[in-house]
Amino acid sequence: MRASKIPMLIAGLALWAGQALAQPSQPRYSADGLYNLANSYARAGKPGLAVLSYERAALLAPDDPDINANLAYVRASAHVSMKPQNRLARLAQVTNPTSAAWLGVLGIALVGIGLVARKVAPRFLWIPGGGILLGVALIAVTASNAILLWPRMHEAIVLIDQTPARVSPAPMADTAFVLREAESVTMTAEHEDFILIRAGGGLSGWVSRANLGAVVPPVGGERSEAAASRLVSTDD
Amino acid sequence: MRWIKVMIAVAGLLAPAEYTRAQTDNALAYETVRPSRIKVGESATIQVTSFGRLKDIQLPTIPGLAFEEMGRSEGFEFLNGTPIPATFIRIRVTAQFPGVFTIPGLTPSSQSIGLEVVKGDEPNPYAWRSQMPAPPPVVPASLPKGAQLQAGGAAFVHLGIPTRAVYVGESVPVDIELGLRPGIVTSVNGLPTLTGSDFTLNNLSKQPERREQAIEGSTFVVLTWHSAVAAVKAGDFSLSAETPVTAKISTLSAADRAVASRLAWPLLQSMYNGIAPKDITIASSPSALKVLPLPTEGQPKDFGGAVGDFQVSSDVSPASVAAGDPLTLRLHIRGTGNFDRVDSTMFDHLDHWKTYPAKSSFTPSDAVGYQGEKVFEQPLIAAQAGEQSIPGLEFSYFNPNTRRYERAQTPPIKVTIATSLDSSSLNALTGVQSLNGAFATGSMQGLRSDHPPPQYWVSELRPLYFRAPFLAIPTTLALILAGSWFAVRPNAARATSKAAERALARLDAAARAGDSSSFFEAARKTLLQTFAARWQMPADQITFAELKARLGATGEDVGRLFALAEEARYSDYQPGSTDFQRWLALIRGELAGERE
Repeated sequence: MRASKIPMLIAGLALWAGQALAQPSQPRYSADGLYNLANSYARAGKPGLAVLSYERAALLAPDDPDINANLAYVRASAHVSMKPQNRLARLAQVTNPTSAAWLGVLGIALVGIGLVARKVAPRFLWIPGGGILLGVALIAVTASNAILLWPRMHEAIVLIDQTPARVSPAPMADTAFVLREAESVTMTAEHEDFILIRAGGGLSGWVSRANLGAVVPPVGGERSEAAASRLVSTDD
Repeated sequence: MRWIKVMIAVAGLLAPAEYTRAQTDNALAYETVRPSRIKVGESATIQVTSFGRLKDIQLPTIPGLAFEEMGRSEGFEFLNGTPIPATFIRIRVTAQFPGVFTIPGLTPSSQSIGLEVVKGDEPNPYAWRSQMPAPPPVVPASLPKGAQLQAGGAAFVHLGIPTRAVYVGESVPVDIELGLRPGIVTSVNGLPTLTGSDFTLNNLSKQPERREQAIEGSTFVVLTWHSAVAAVKAGDFSLSAETPVTAKISTLSAADRAVASRLAWPLLQSMYNGIAPKDITIASSPSALKVLPLPTEGQPKDFGGAVGDFQVSSDVSPASVAAGDPLTLRLHIRGTGNFDRVDSTMFDHLDHWKTYPAKSSFTPSDAVGYQGEKVFEQPLIAAQAGEQSIPGLEFSYFNPNTRRYERAQTPPIKVTIATSLDSSSLNALTGVQSLNGAFATGSMQGLRSDHPPPQYWVSELRPLYFRAPFLAIPTTLALILAGSWFAVRPNAARATSKAAERALARLDAAARAGDSSSFFEAARKTLLQTFAARWQMPADQITFAELKARLGATGEDVGRLFALAEEARYSDYQPGSTDFQRWLALIRGELAGERE
């Protein structure tokens, strides 16, 4: 009797937590809204903001063909190269991150319940064994999805063309190299109003925070991402 | 005449002491070198002029220059028209290699001088100097009309104003000339100012015009400022300008100079001490100016005080806009006059237009702002589409040339207002160019179309598995399951039952085969394991007495079974099938008791 109550308790807890997370108090982002906004920026001749919006839309709907097609088209029009993705990455990113998160929870539940069931009922061991295997597979899907998405948590888009990357975080510092608008960079550190970025080819330099838009805005609002703030407010 | 003899005698007694004092004083002196630029091997002449008896001087030692005293003489220097005894020493300096040399002062009171030495076979390193236009020759001229020399003939000021009557508020150009004799007037200590408070003087031109003129046999540097004055009230006024300067003038009275001129020259040496720089203010001769009031007859209601000669025009840009888009209406007022009083509010209200406050800017075309152009700009937004007409603008002013008020008016302006606001705005949006020029207008034809309005929103772009609140869910779940795994115990009865069934199956098979040895051995082992699990004790410690004590009469049967097992192992005991069934029933009974 006790063992039969545990799955119900877990299911109830998961249902409650899922509802709490799925009902935001201040709705701000949607894949379609970001996609439409990106299209507007693209038509207005602002590839940086367009690519930023497409990237954000792709986070919410990675398997949307329109988002990926327009993102590739705008990058090509802006003469910015895209990072090639291997087959595993494409396979893992087909799953929506939100779905992948809940699949991971389901996998943990299956593994745990299977282990308990094997201990409780030695007869028909293949049933809990199959559940354990399925749970492990689901956890693996979630883990690979998270691992592949982790670099994008630190990715930013260059919003201003000919953005100088400087050798030190100072406005008058020498320019190390110049970034194109809509180019993707990786943020590695920050100092006051400058962000240390790593661009293609392993080049590193300090870029003014106002010239970049983080694909995933920092929690608590976009502190100094002026362009990103405009993007969000327009989206609202 | 007796007192004159007494004075001569006293002077004769004081002369040696005065002479000695002059020897020891640092007498005023200066040096000149001519020419100041020579080639290697050439010589220049340095002349030391001292207003006093000069002892022998020490020639300097400068690498590259060779000095040689050529001789000395005594004579007079004329300062401010007064002869001053002086000593002259001439020194020849010969250049040995090129360079720019600074020759220190050869007397304690003289300043250092510079000498440039260049090679003879190379281009002039200071060619930029020689390429400068030669200074214009000093033009003979006379004092401006009404001007008078001041500061002992070393300076003058002249105020040039119009001779005609002017009107209140009218700006009229004025010229202020300041003539200076270089060397006597050492500095100008301020800009010229007007006397009196009934006039306002515009800002003087930043840099005065400079020219040299020979006036009454002396060279004057004449500085001319341009400005404009305006009268604040009507009446007859006397106007003059004044300027503070510093000039070397004699501080001795005329009587002292007359007495000193009769004395021997050692005493006269002290006269230069009476010539000292002094701050003075020189003023121009007063000029009469008649100021008339503005006539009240015919004054327009919108007259704002502008006095001058103006021309107006207007334009609008862009000439074609969409309804709702702003355009700029401009009123240009050009001419001469008091532009500070030129004002226009443009349109306060205009039908079918939304008006905004106008702003103005003035661009002078002269140094004093008397002539130029003032532009008023007013943003307008059309409320209706179609062909619109902006009425003409008016501007009233008083023209002192015609002595009456005049009204200037611009013609109406036609403007085309587009009918479609959306299409215009969209064109404006799609016409935006990025900095890299890659996004030309209409270049986004390959974009896929927009999606329907969104129905589902999220509060954060970060995936769920990177958010701490969500991670609490799988963590809690894992903890609960782990706790359950540790808390749940396996069902021992069911496990025993399965083992018992397997043992009974083996016993049954051995009974059917008539294998007594295997049967009894398996029966003994199964029962011992069952009793050990039941009684929680090791199987090898279960004795016959233990069986009898715990099982009673059944214990004796079980003991008999164990004995038969020993017997069957070492003998050829073969029980009948009935015996096998009886022993099986006993064993099944004990195992069934365990299951219950």
